[in-house]
Amino acid sequence: MSRASITRRQALEQAAMLLGGALSAPTVAGVLSTATRRAWAASPGWTPRTLSPAQLELVATMAEHIIPQTDTAGARAAGVHRFVDTLLSDHYAATERDRFLAGLADVDAHAQSAHGQPFPRCSAEQRIVLLKEMDARAYASGRGEDGWFFRRLKELTVVGYYTSEIGAMQELHMSPFGAYRGDIPYTSVGRAWS
Amino acid sequence: MITYDAIVIGSGITGGWAAKELTEKGLETLVIERGRNVEHRKDYITEHKPNWQFPLRNARLAVGTQGAQEYPIQARTGQFHESVKHFFIKDHRNPYIEDKPFTWIQGDQVGGKSLIWGRQVYRWSDLDFEANLRDAHAVDWPIRYADLAPWYSYVERFIGVSGERLGLPQLPDGEFQPPMEMNAGEKFVKAGLERAFPDRRLTIGRVAILTQALNGRLPCHYCGPCERGCSTGSYFSSQSSTLPAARATGRLTIIPNSVVHSLIYDAAKNRVTGVRVVDTTTNETREYSSRVVFLCASTLATTRVLLNSKSARFPEGLANSSGVLGRYLMDHHFVVGASGAIEGLLDRYYQGNRPNGIYIPRFRNLGDDASRRGDYVRGFGYQGGASREGWARGGSEAGFGVELKRKLHDPGRWTMGLTGFGECLPRADNQVQLADQTDEFGIPLLRIHCTWGENELAMRKDMAASAAEMLEAGGCKEVRTRDAYKEGELGGEPGLGIHEMGTARMGRDPRTSVLNAHNQAHDVPNLFVTDGACMTSSSCVNPSITYMALTARACDYALGELKRGNL
Repeated sequence: MSRASITRRQALEQAAMLLGGALSAPTVAGVLSTATRRAWAASPGWTPRTLSPAQLELVATMAEHIIPQTDTAGARAAGVHRFVDTLLSDHYAATERDRFLAGLADVDAHAQSAHGQPFPRCSAEQRIVLLKEMDARAYASGRGEDGWFFRRLKELTVVGYYTSEIGAMQELHMSPFGAYRGDIPYTSVGRAWS
Repeated sequence: MITYDAIVIGSGITGGWAAKELTEKGLETLVIERGRNVEHRKDYITEHKPNWQFPLRNARLAVGTQGAQEYPIQARTGQFHESVKHFFIKDHRNPYIEDKPFTWIQGDQVGGKSLIWGRQVYRWSDLDFEANLRDAHAVDWPIRYADLAPWYSYVERFIGVSGERLGLPQLPDGEFQPPMEMNAGEKFVKAGLERAFPDRRLTIGRVAILTQALNGRLPCHYCGPCERGCSTGSYFSSQSSTLPAARATGRLTIIPNSVVHSLIYDAAKNRVTGVRVVDTTTNETREYSSRVVFLCASTLATTRVLLNSKSARFPEGLANSSGVLGRYLMDHHFVVGASGAIEGLLDRYYQGNRPNGIYIPRFRNLGDDASRRGDYVRGFGYQGGASREGWARGGSEAGFGVELKRKLHDPGRWTMGLTGFGECLPRADNQVQLADQTDEFGIPLLRIHCTWGENELAMRKDMAASAAEMLEAGGCKEVRTRDAYKEGELGGEPGLGIHEMGTARMGRDPRTSVLNAHNQAHDVPNLFVTDGACMTSSSCVNPSITYMALTARACDYALGELKRGNL
């Protein structure tokens, strides 16, 4: 599908797909700021530039498990997978990008051998078991090479989520401009500043 | 050739000051700037932009990342982020040769590095001005604190400095606006530290950021990243402060996109008679003339201009009869210190992004027996601060899912860090020379040779150990020291402090120094150098306000000399 030929309906469908059906596109338009809506409107035909559709879905699925939807939206709605694709395309050196993509392939290969399915098609329970294994290995003492991918994915998920408008403004708060107060009761704030 | 009363080369911290002082004293002044124009407010294109409006979410663009491709040197500083990269020079525009790792960070715009500087301002004391004389390194300063004190006051009253008065002889108080507040973690560490070490103080940073309105500039609104530019003019920059004042006189002309090739010297008159400029957009050469020239291009750029201004009288560079031009390069050595965690205070938090930290003034080698060290001379201070861990900790700990999200909903524990800034001795073998190669404007490249010496390396051990000792005394746990310097590698190399100074030093004797007590070239009376190149030693405190005070003082002297008919 070329960027020029995409219809508005296709764009909305694609947006809804990327949002995992958690929120419909019109709902998204309602909760996000004008600036974000403008940013989205400027790229209605957004497509990944490094990740394949399957890889994009894998990232979105893993990220949503890491920061899931609760009373606020999770990583998928915040577009963490888009952020990851942008970093891979515009920020990472080729070696680091390839290493990350190899990590993604390992996840699917592991899911395939354990459950006969790529990761996103495994059941939620199966996915959580796989993620727990990866998490335990990644943060075991020594922090070995084989944990690099999961640590990186988790870092990117956390950064991508809490620097998104959803993460920064809805899940957390941004410190208001005006005064600096260095020593106030935490109860008067109630959540971390983003 | 167009003629002005005065030409100022550079529009950064010192160039802006020279422009203000000279125009206010009645001189038609031309400011020549190599970089592009940056207009106050209009060109602060990332100010107040939330992270999600940056494609990379304001990532640090480290060496090797795609965004750093045109900035392989600039990307070495941790300050090089997506939101501010447009205020750093593209390295192909200012290539240089480093014999050993030396990082040269530059701006490339009107305002220079005044837009992105650290804003910490500390007066020197006689401990600094007498240092070379007392421990017999390099040459004596031709001035003392009393010479500069009124000019510090003059500068502080104009730029606006917030800070706390301490009454310390080694860190004289200034004309301060009310200090910013310390946070709960900093207050906690301060209490324990000062109890354990009665000779040491932990204070809020003294910064050129307003806490009260001043001359139409508004007090800080605590958005945080000053270096993106500030529409309310709350921190000092050329754009917010000196250039508007100069412009208001009607006597200021600024030409951007104009890199100075060399100065034109008339041996018969023994005067600089002109400035040769290359237009960076067309590569055409132009010349301007004036009665007096102020070189304020930043330490190394200034010395490069002088070295490249050769004549029969000065074959080794203008005003270099002493042969010391290019020598005695210094920087502050840092990226050494300690950090630790504070237990408790979990019911305390803060609001607002304070663009400032804490400061621990020098407490070593103060001239008395108690503070004397046997293993090194001079001293260091610390900058640092406390904060509660934020969401970023989520990437470095095990756990995911609802549990992780719930955890990151609250801030984490308090941590506190201290980073030392140490004085660097002036050594002749730390030097810059012209190389055979030229850049795209036909100007010879600088070859830079600079290393830390034994004194700096011995001091670093104490900088790490003392930071740890103080944090522990302040009640911190899990205290860890850090020293990023490894010989021959990047991480703590000279230049990274972005306090490069020296190479055209002031001194009493024309045979051993380039400039006199008024920043005037010993050899050429109508040539003044008032940026960091003039420095004879380095102190351990951030240097910019001293450059500003020296500039204002030199302008006053130059005006007097013009009036007396001496220039």
